[in-house]
Amino acid sequence: MKKIWLIIKREYLTRIKKKTFIISTLLFPVLYALLIFGSGYMASKGGRKLTIGVIDSSGYFTSDKLDSENRKDSSSVLVSVNMQPDSVKNNMEKLNIDGYIVIPVQNDWKNGFHLRFKTEKTLGVEATMPASNKLNNIWNEVKNEKLGVSDSIRQQMDASKVSIAAININDENASSEIAALIGFISAFVIYLILLIYGSQVMMGVVEEKTNRIAEVMVSSVKPFQLMLGKIIGIGLVAITQFFLWIALIFIVYNITNAAGQSSDSMSQMVGQVQKVFTSINIPMIIFFFVFYFLGGFFFYSSLFAAIGSSINEDMREAQSLSFPVQMPLIFSMIMISAVMHDPSGPVAFWGSIIPFTSPVVMMVRIPFGIPGAVPWWQIGLSMALLVGGFVFTTWFAGKIYRTGILMYGKKPSWKEMIKWAFRRN
Amino acid sequence: MSSILELQNLKKYFATQKAVDDISLTVDRGQIFGLLGPNGAGKTTLIRMITGIFYPDEGNIIFDGKKFDPINDTIGIGYMPEERGLYKKMKIGEQALYLAQLKGLSHKEALEKIKKWFIKFEMESWWNKKVEDLSKGMGQKLQFVTTVLHEPKLVILDEPFSGLDPVNSNLIKDEIFRMAQNGTTVIFSTHRMEQVEEICNHIVLVNKGQKILDGSVAQVKQDFKENLFSIGAENIPEQNGLAPFEMIRNKESNYVVRIKEGHKPNDVLTYLIQQGISVHSFNEILPSLNEIFIRLVEGTPTARQFQTI
Repeated sequence: MKKIWLIIKREYLTRIKKKTFIISTLLFPVLYALLIFGSGYMASKGGRKLTIGVIDSSGYFTSDKLDSENRKDSSSVLVSVNMQPDSVKNNMEKLNIDGYIVIPVQNDWKNGFHLRFKTEKTLGVEATMPASNKLNNIWNEVKNEKLGVSDSIRQQMDASKVSIAAININDENASSEIAALIGFISAFVIYLILLIYGSQVMMGVVEEKTNRIAEVMVSSVKPFQLMLGKIIGIGLVAITQFFLWIALIFIVYNITNAAGQSSDSMSQMVGQVQKVFTSINIPMIIFFFVFYFLGGFFFYSSLFAAIGSSINEDMREAQSLSFPVQMPLIFSMIMISAVMHDPSGPVAFWGSIIPFTSPVVMMVRIPFGIPGAVPWWQIGLSMALLVGGFVFTTWFAGKIYRTGILMYGKKPSWKEMIKWAFRRN
Repeated sequence: MSSILELQNLKKYFATQKAVDDISLTVDRGQIFGLLGPNGAGKTTLIRMITGIFYPDEGNIIFDGKKFDPINDTIGIGYMPEERGLYKKMKIGEQALYLAQLKGLSHKEALEKIKKWFIKFEMESWWNKKVEDLSKGMGQKLQFVTTVLHEPKLVILDEPFSGLDPVNSNLIKDEIFRMAQNGTTVIFSTHRMEQVEEICNHIVLVNKGQKILDGSVAQVKQDFKENLFSIGAENIPEQNGLAPFEMIRNKESNYVVRIKEGHKPNDVLTYLIQQGISVHSFNEILPSLNEIFIRLVEGTPTARQFQTI
């Protein structure tokens, strides 16, 4: 045990002291925030701002009305054009418009309008949405007038609506929106850490092999101790980094709060996270997070260690050999959205039972509530299988590792590696 | 109890090779023991079993009078493999400390011993350097220090001098002699026969997984001698069948002769003196280990072939 402890200590300290650790710890939250805001920004500004010429023959869409709509929403501009459609078509550049809509004369206003937006670009539904909204607003006013609906009646009509919110009978506090958010974040963090630190384990083993220190080491410690020490040491680095990130987020939040910039979007996001942490059953979530994180980490990193031990100096081998191990991880990431839509459906069930995907998938389900979304027996089964799974993979990997780490020369096939695992000694 | 290590009928078969096929040998305490053999003879596999890295398929290892226990006995063994390595990014002092602690030394003990060795090998200034900054020879010295630091009873060195200049070679050679004098046993594996001749007192030659020679260096040489003598003399005329020796070759006034069956060196001298030839030197020529090695291993293909078991 003392030797494992020494190995853990070395693996941990050498990694913590590295510049790359410090940089990635500081940089990751920044990059992550950029990612979130960046995608948010792109979603809101990504649609191009269209200028649309309106050739109105019906008389309902006057220049005044268009202008007043343009003032309400600047994401597109409607301009009234008094020209023949054919000449507009030839003069779009001069008129500085992206396209035009011809509104025909409409004898019976009850029929509404089916309009074509003519443009030289290929546009989707989202691009024409703002323009269609504006025209609809104007048209609604027209209709209200025709029907004699006064402003006060219209307000009453808008005010009364039917809305549905899903409430879990067993846990009325569980909000599915927050649950989905927490589930997604925890699952994503587990996925990320398993992938990043799993390959760190692999690289660490490869390093020992290429530096030829493996033989020196295994003459002092058992290969299994060496592997386990490495996995635990790197696991601790992952946990350290994770808690530093959390701490960093809270610090940033409090600083921005103190500076009175609470309206700032950064602190809004951080605040959201903090709100989430205070509004649900945190101890439970944290317990399961730690469990699935550790279980998944042992499960995957021992496989990564086994892969690492089979690699010779050539890093390209790492690529091809580690791909089958990364596959189920990536697959569980793909399953997330399906699980978020239906946290108690069959995809969610099987995904959270099978140890290859359970660390990620179960973390999506758990915030939706126990035993509401996840019955106790499912949690029990999933946890038991994950423990059984990592005991097996660690044992299996230990066997491969022991042979692989002293093996130089040709790249072993999967068949050979499995043979190593089941050899007597 | 004079033997530190006893191997009894050790066997280790791999899928395509009988790497070690029934080897027994005894290493005495304080001995410098040469483990010789061509490439692929099974030396490394044998050593890996002694160091607890591999388990033998069959046979026993008796270490220090007891059955070898790979977990607890490794502190009694220091092993410097042929494939040497250190953590490149680690500082040299920390590295030595780490390896010593893994062998079971306490932090304080390890620190004291490292300092002593670093001073002895003039490595004090290296402490905060990284392994990647070291030259090959310097790395070798460090590796040697980490091997013997915990004062093991048995030190196993696989090609310890490769890559070392003569000065550092001597430094390590002297250390090997000193350790042997203090009762440490050294198993020394190499292909360099002149080093074996210089250093070892007992050798075992392994080929194709089997032991083909076992004895003290002096004894082995006696066993393989061909009754050759070198004579420095004025002029030895062509011999007729009466002489107790036959001429092998001569060069200037140095003659190499083989003494005939049933004769003794003195017969040669008597004969020469009777002939009135003035002799100024008369030496027995013992075969070098190199010659013995080549003779024994000759006929073995240079690369070991795969076999089915």
